Amino acid sequence: MVKRRKRGIKKLLLNFRILVLILFLAGSIVSLMLQPLTFGIDISGGVALVVQTEHPVDAQTMQVIVQSLQRRLNTFGIKSISIEAQGNQIILIKIANITEQQAVAIKQLIESQGVFYMEFNGVIFGSGKDIVRVGYYQIKADNSWQVPFTVSKRAAEELAKLAKGKAGWPVDMFLDPPTNSILVVSPEVYKLMNSTEFNAQAPNAPTLLQRIEKALNITVVQYTNQTTPEQLFNVAEKMKVKNIVLAAVGKGLIDQLRKYGLKVRYVSKEPGESDFAFIKRVLGLYGPYALGEGLANGQPQTEVSINGGAQTRAQALEEAKVVYTVLSSGSLPVKLKVTSMEFISPKLGTNFKRQALYAGVGALVAVFLIVYLHYRRLRIAVPVTSTSLFEVIIILGIASLIKWNLDLPSIAGIIAAIGTGVDQQIVITDELLWGEGGEKIRSRGSLSRRISRAMFVIFASATTTIVAMSFLFEFFVGTLRGFAFTTILGTLIGILITRPAYAEIARYLLGEE
Amino acid sequence: MTRKSKEKNSSTVASHQVKRRKLKFLADMEPKRMIVYPLVVFIVALIVLAVHFPQLGIDLKGGVVVTVYGVNVQNTGTFAKELSAKLGVPVRVESFKGINVYGIRVYAPAGIDPQKIIGVLKKVFPPNKYPNVSYSHTEVLPTFGKVAQAQGIRAIVYAFIGMAFVVFIFFRNPVSSLAIIFSAFSDMVIAVASMGLLGVQLTTATIAALLMLIGYTVDSNILLTTKLVKQRVSDLSEAYLSAVSTGFTMSTTTLGALVVLYVVTTSDVIRNIAIVLIFGLLADFMNTWIFNAGVLRWYLGKKARGGK
Repeated sequence: MVKRRKRGIKKLLLNFRILVLILFLAGSIVSLMLQPLTFGIDISGGVALVVQTEHPVDAQTMQVIVQSLQRRLNTFGIKSISIEAQGNQIILIKIANITEQQAVAIKQLIESQGVFYMEFNGVIFGSGKDIVRVGYYQIKADNSWQVPFTVSKRAAEELAKLAKGKAGWPVDMFLDPPTNSILVVSPEVYKLMNSTEFNAQAPNAPTLLQRIEKALNITVVQYTNQTTPEQLFNVAEKMKVKNIVLAAVGKGLIDQLRKYGLKVRYVSKEPGESDFAFIKRVLGLYGPYALGEGLANGQPQTEVSINGGAQTRAQALEEAKVVYTVLSSGSLPVKLKVTSMEFISPKLGTNFKRQALYAGVGALVAVFLIVYLHYRRLRIAVPVTSTSLFEVIIILGIASLIKWNLDLPSIAGIIAAIGTGVDQQIVITDELLWGEGGEKIRSRGSLSRRISRAMFVIFASATTTIVAMSFLFEFFVGTLRGFAFTTILGTLIGILITRPAYAEIARYLLGEE
Repeated sequence: MTRKSKEKNSSTVASHQVKRRKLKFLADMEPKRMIVYPLVVFIVALIVLAVHFPQLGIDLKGGVVVTVYGVNVQNTGTFAKELSAKLGVPVRVESFKGINVYGIRVYAPAGIDPQKIIGVLKKVFPPNKYPNVSYSHTEVLPTFGKVAQAQGIRAIVYAFIGMAFVVFIFFRNPVSSLAIIFSAFSDMVIAVASMGLLGVQLTTATIAALLMLIGYTVDSNILLTTKLVKQRVSDLSEAYLSAVSTGFTMSTTTLGALVVLYVVTTSDVIRNIAIVLIFGLLADFMNTWIFNAGVLRWYLGKKARGGK
């Protein structure tokens, strides 16, 4: 009797289905040891951004955008980034392990298109293409910063020509100014822009208001409480522009202006921000810089710089870094907007992983107890629970092998797969134990028939789940893809590896008696 | 065979018999009543949905959430009022607690910079006094919320169509296929209605839970349908009893695991998924083992009578 039993175990272990299970299990454990699991941003911390292009773009442009962003973020000093374009308008960016301050700077970095202009006396003499080399940024003790850069010979000569005899006149540099637009401002701001405040050391040079109108086609309009959307629309029509920028005025007009088909952007003023700083921020203006004596004498100069200042040293550093990065990585073909941003503090990671472990162990213990309560037999409860555990290990092993990022939806998918797995093992068990008669069956032939019938149910439901989830995986942009992926993976492992193996084990344990 | 294993066997059989006796009332129920009761529940759920649809989470609606870990707030209501006054926008504050983790979540409407909220919170909980406090934040623009909403709806519709397609192919019988599809639909409706009643928000995670329901529903319904359709009519009641006792074991096991999951975890996402699944599975037990079984018994009985 004992001998027969031993032979039985040996036969079971050598069974093809059991061998497959053991092989995959061992492979998964090795894979997990050699290559630890990687977790998503929502577990291990970091920032996940969903970026939308201003309008749909073709595949080629999308590729250019992805490459530029990659270059930009690398220049900024971040190495491990995942950038993924989805569809024709959405880009997903995930960066692990960064600080909150970096996350905020990254958002800025993505949203600035990086269109650069150098202007003098209302004439643009250089753009981003004229930047030959960007030097390293410097922060001074008073929290002011400087980014030196070299412009092309052509731009330098152009400026020298324009600037002849105009020492002390203002040179402006713009990063992402609101070109081709109507700029609506308060009377005080209007007065300031039309004064000599922005004229460096040359009171007789044209004012900032005149310079931007000529160079960038920005028409500045004074806002009073009588200003109607219709008036603004008429100005826009006359100037043949479609963009309106409301500089902290006329917030109530936004919806009405949109009805006219205008693109409206509202910029609010920060508390404590001076009108001067506010104007510079709205226009993306750096400068104005007073023209040096040398240039006024017609000598081209290629070494220039952009300066700015902030309240704290950390802020100054981030600002300088952003400008440095944008200048050196060039402009993006289309404007981007961050439509969703999720920052998770990296401190939470270990805590969360421990919790997931508790939850998983707790759920397995619950399965064990309830299955035992139903059948009153360890011979059923132990294999059901351990097969589920093996299934989790194999799913995780494959996830680590293909470097799948485990995020929360992926974990939900694993839960789903395990849940259906337990259900299906119960189907197999009941089919083996009771069959249709409710009486215990003995004959071997009918055992196989029962297993194959249980397998039909399992196969049918697995197919359904896989088809339904493939739709999700194929058409869904965003987080639910992880869910679809692990559900499909778990279901496949179930029907191909663990369910057949469980059927063999159950047949051995229940049929031998 | 040893005596011991015989005893074990007899206790297995005994517990099985108890289960069957307890479920016998279902087998004795008239098919008509089996169909009507779940339909009533379905209609009630529809009414609940019409009156009280679950709130959309910020990932579908747009908005800002700042999570502060490592702080305790006694009265979230007054704290929310203080914060609202300082920020100039209405905020909602929730506190949470779990193994080794506790803190608060601050919800604000879209348009406010999360950094501003964090700035204010850092004044309330100065870093020198609270060195272990850490912040996470999420910001979703309403435009992206709309995109996510459309995708969520599309995901459910596609998954549903895929499921319906495969079920039709497998059974090639309009009555049993439609019954399965209806029970899946009713499961979702009831699950969403109970979300509304319990105040669980509709988010991408809960949409994932609703999609999981499709998998579970199909499992139990296919089991039932294969058992009944492939049976001789005289054994119908016996076949049903055998199937429903398996279904009962399945549901209770999964429900038990989900309850543990709900109790143990503090992750909002996993908790919400667990609660949606718990209600969905309860609905599924009714829809599969009562409604669909009623339809099949009525249909198979009618077919048998018609054939005679």
